[in-house]
Amino acid sequence: MSVTTARPEPAVASAAAGTSRRRRRRRGSGMDRKPRFAVAVTALFFVLLYLPIAAVVVFSFNTKKSLTVFDGWSLQWYRAFFNDRELTHSLGTSLEVAAVAMVGSVVIGAALAFGLVRARSRLGAAANAIMLIPLITPEIVTGVASLMLFKGVYLEPGLATLMIAETTFSISYVTVILRARVAELNPEIEEAAMDLGASRMQAVRLVTLPLMWPAMLSSAILIFTIVFDDFVLAFFTTGVSPQPLSVRIYSAIRFGVQPSINAVGTLMLVASILLIVLALVLPRLLGRHGSGLDLFKS
Amino acid sequence: MTRAPYVSRRGLFKAAGASAALLGAASACAYVNPPGPRALPKKKIVPKVDGDLVYFNWADYVHPKVLKGFKAEYGVDIIQSNFDSMEGMAAKLAAGNRYDVIFPSAQWVQKLDAANQLYPIDHSVLDNAAAIFDYYDYFADPWYDPKSAHSIPFTMYKTGVAWRKDKLGDQLTGSWNDLWNDTANGHTFLLDDRDEVLGMGALLLGLDLNTADGDDLDQIVDKIDSLRPYLRAFSSDDFNNLLSGDAWLTQAWSGDLAAVIWEADDPSLYAFESPSEGSPVNTDTYAIPSNAQHPGTALLFIDYMLRPENVEKNINYIGYPMPVHGTEAVYDELMAPFPACKVTVDDLGEDLYFTNHGVDDTRARDDAYTRIKVG
Amino acid sequence: MSSAKKSDRLWTWLLLPGTLWMSVFFVSALALVVALSFGRTDELGNPRFSNTLENIRGILEWTYLRVIIRSLVYSVSATAICLLISYPVAYVIARHGGRYRNALVALIVIPFFANYLVRMYGWQTLLSDDGVVMKRLRDLGVSSDFHILDTAGAVIGGLVYGYIVFMVLPVYASLQRMDGSLIEAGRDLYGSPLRTFLTVTVPATRAGAYAGIVLVFLPAMGDFISAQLLGGPDNLMIGNLIQDKFFAGQNWPLGAALTMTLMLLLLVCMFAYLRQTARDSREAAR
Repeated sequence: MSVTTARPEPAVASAAAGTSRRRRRRRGSGMDRKPRFAVAVTALFFVLLYLPIAAVVVFSFNTKKSLTVFDGWSLQWYRAFFNDRELTHSLGTSLEVAAVAMVGSVVIGAALAFGLVRARSRLGAAANAIMLIPLITPEIVTGVASLMLFKGVYLEPGLATLMIAETTFSISYVTVILRARVAELNPEIEEAAMDLGASRMQAVRLVTLPLMWPAMLSSAILIFTIVFDDFVLAFFTTGVSPQPLSVRIYSAIRFGVQPSINAVGTLMLVASILLIVLALVLPRLLGRHGSGLDLFKS
Repeated sequence: MTRAPYVSRRGLFKAAGASAALLGAASACAYVNPPGPRALPKKKIVPKVDGDLVYFNWADYVHPKVLKGFKAEYGVDIIQSNFDSMEGMAAKLAAGNRYDVIFPSAQWVQKLDAANQLYPIDHSVLDNAAAIFDYYDYFADPWYDPKSAHSIPFTMYKTGVAWRKDKLGDQLTGSWNDLWNDTANGHTFLLDDRDEVLGMGALLLGLDLNTADGDDLDQIVDKIDSLRPYLRAFSSDDFNNLLSGDAWLTQAWSGDLAAVIWEADDPSLYAFESPSEGSPVNTDTYAIPSNAQHPGTALLFIDYMLRPENVEKNINYIGYPMPVHGTEAVYDELMAPFPACKVTVDDLGEDLYFTNHGVDDTRARDDAYTRIKVG
Repeated sequence: MSSAKKSDRLWTWLLLPGTLWMSVFFVSALALVVALSFGRTDELGNPRFSNTLENIRGILEWTYLRVIIRSLVYSVSATAICLLISYPVAYVIARHGGRYRNALVALIVIPFFANYLVRMYGWQTLLSDDGVVMKRLRDLGVSSDFHILDTAGAVIGGLVYGYIVFMVLPVYASLQRMDGSLIEAGRDLYGSPLRTFLTVTVPATRAGAYAGIVLVFLPAMGDFISAQLLGGPDNLMIGNLIQDKFFAGQNWPLGAALTMTLMLLLLVCMFAYLRQTARDSREAAR
């Protein structure tokens, strides 16, 4: 990075920055000055981020069927949801699929993470590539490919195909997250434990796992939420009867919306928010330093 | 000291590669052997409860009370799925999904039957089938299903133009050209249906409704392209588009109009016409896929749906006529204020039906429709 | 056998289930897509292997090329807008967030774990002709011909909304890691915050920007929800065509060819991009 000297021209500089001359003179305290423009953008950003969520939540309590005129507060759409066997069945399906994908992907992903970080073999490079591709593949491509694969082997689209597809795509996420954590671990601690007489299994159980499990738990919750909300992949690989909630929402949006979709949407929002807050807060609660947000710092 | 065999990296690599190849080869199966028409299951189906009903239909096409009544009377559940198009329905069927009762349109009955994908239905086991076949000669031996051996007619409908009287006036000219309307700029919709859109263009240009000729299709594409500037969207949800106020002018199905008129706060706002160049007609039917797991329940369901009281409930709910003797009066009464929406068996005689095409023709039509949709 | 070799064996074994799973359910699936791009459909519309170039030829027609180009334009625009928004936001949080920093980041992240469809549907409701936003605009005198939905802008906006978190987070991470004294030095040298930003901050955080660009552009290219819910007939993207060919349009080989084209396009973009960034970091290291 090259640094050139330049004589700042007062008028031009302050005009460009949109700040007053008075402020510009305070040298060294540029850190304290809040950039007004950026703050405004940030505020607007947060408002726009939550606006559609607010709209969905507010209209889920609407007394009228309308999606544009708010009439009054009512719980009727929530009641309609809970009375609708199909919808509650779908909710159960979504939860089931998310749970299976979570367990499968965390187990396989953890194994992959260890293997990728610690194995000194050429397979590691290949495995690394294979594992990363889903992350940069648009979901529609994964969905299409999965659909073609299942149809090719005469596997009827249903719960199984949905679970397989969601697990496949989740493995990549989990591996990336856990790999960072594994890389932080010091293998010598395990070696030390084994030198002290522990078997490999005991070393893993007593040393490695306790260090790993907050990250595994966080990534498990993350994956659960991601799969629970997933739409595109589910749309391509879902079958007749157990349809996950996101696919039902899509059908309702496309073919005549019933306002109870707003209630369903709100419930899903609340569930996801609770889950993700849990994922962020849990590591701290469990006494580990740092929050789950470390997961996002690559 | 023996050396324990260990898995070399090369071995692992090979294993992974082999399994990928194997699955690849295995998956080739479904796409390689073109199976001849599937052999029909030998056993005859009789109406009896053999499990829950897996029901696959357009959304909102049957009165919910009717479905509830079936569940209560026979003690079974109805597992509902919806499709958004006939192709979507066929896609799910082809993907191996197993439904008990489906609602294909006429040409799809012909297609599915050709591939032996429909159970034959013996009319004599249905108590209420006589109400159709003894009175409606047309359905005794329709073009799409000889002797109606694999399907029972459900509804009839035709396609026309629907509009908002308060925005565009009480009367339009009675032609498909009405869709080209300056006032309705930005509020015009076409159905998202290849046959309907291409058919409309064909009728307007005086061509065969089902043409797959390259030059014809080019003309049709150009004609509809001239409508694009006015077009808000392609959407088969004419019902909601009209009710929400998004649509002032739309290609529409007759029965949906009837439904709009009942749901609307002010029915006098809406109107429908059957253009003089021709109104495509169609029939939706009940059919039982040959891989159905509960065909007995399906037969019971069809028989139940054909009971006059249920037919009447459905007619009132969806506004489409059903060719069941004894229910005509209900339909006539319903349609009295809006005669333009009425569909009778005579309309069917006009023979403006969408027919099936061979592979290449279908491709040509699909290509034309994509060109229309992309613009 | 030495314990080191034993460990190595163990770790290599651990690679097996994951690699196997991914090869079977992902790699072979992608290979199938490529293979079926050369296929055809039979009488009932079922896909069959073949060796025809019809599908590829079909895609090279102007109709499809137009959609591909449009998708590129939308995705690039969305990525650029994401960059323009993410920097101020990440900057404010990283350097002025204080002890609320983590909470603010959490507040950004949380909506993205809520259902994407539901949030897009929320926008559709808000921006519809009879919705809150349009009503207000009409009150303010905007002509009734103007509409937000069914425009390219709405689709790009939808893409930005859907993927912006993938830009904000990496940029934020980079900004956080950046040495604050660099900015101070820049201020001393340049005086203008804007110039400091452009010549100091941006280059220092470009790793985050690069990550964000990849994470936004790639999924945006395959998106079809935004165009479907917020766009009109003139705003179709590749994803919409692909979806159509697999469901309503029923032409799997053509859909496979389209999917393969999308994959190839993204691979090409990634390669060009990686080469550029590699070159960049080589230069920076000098």
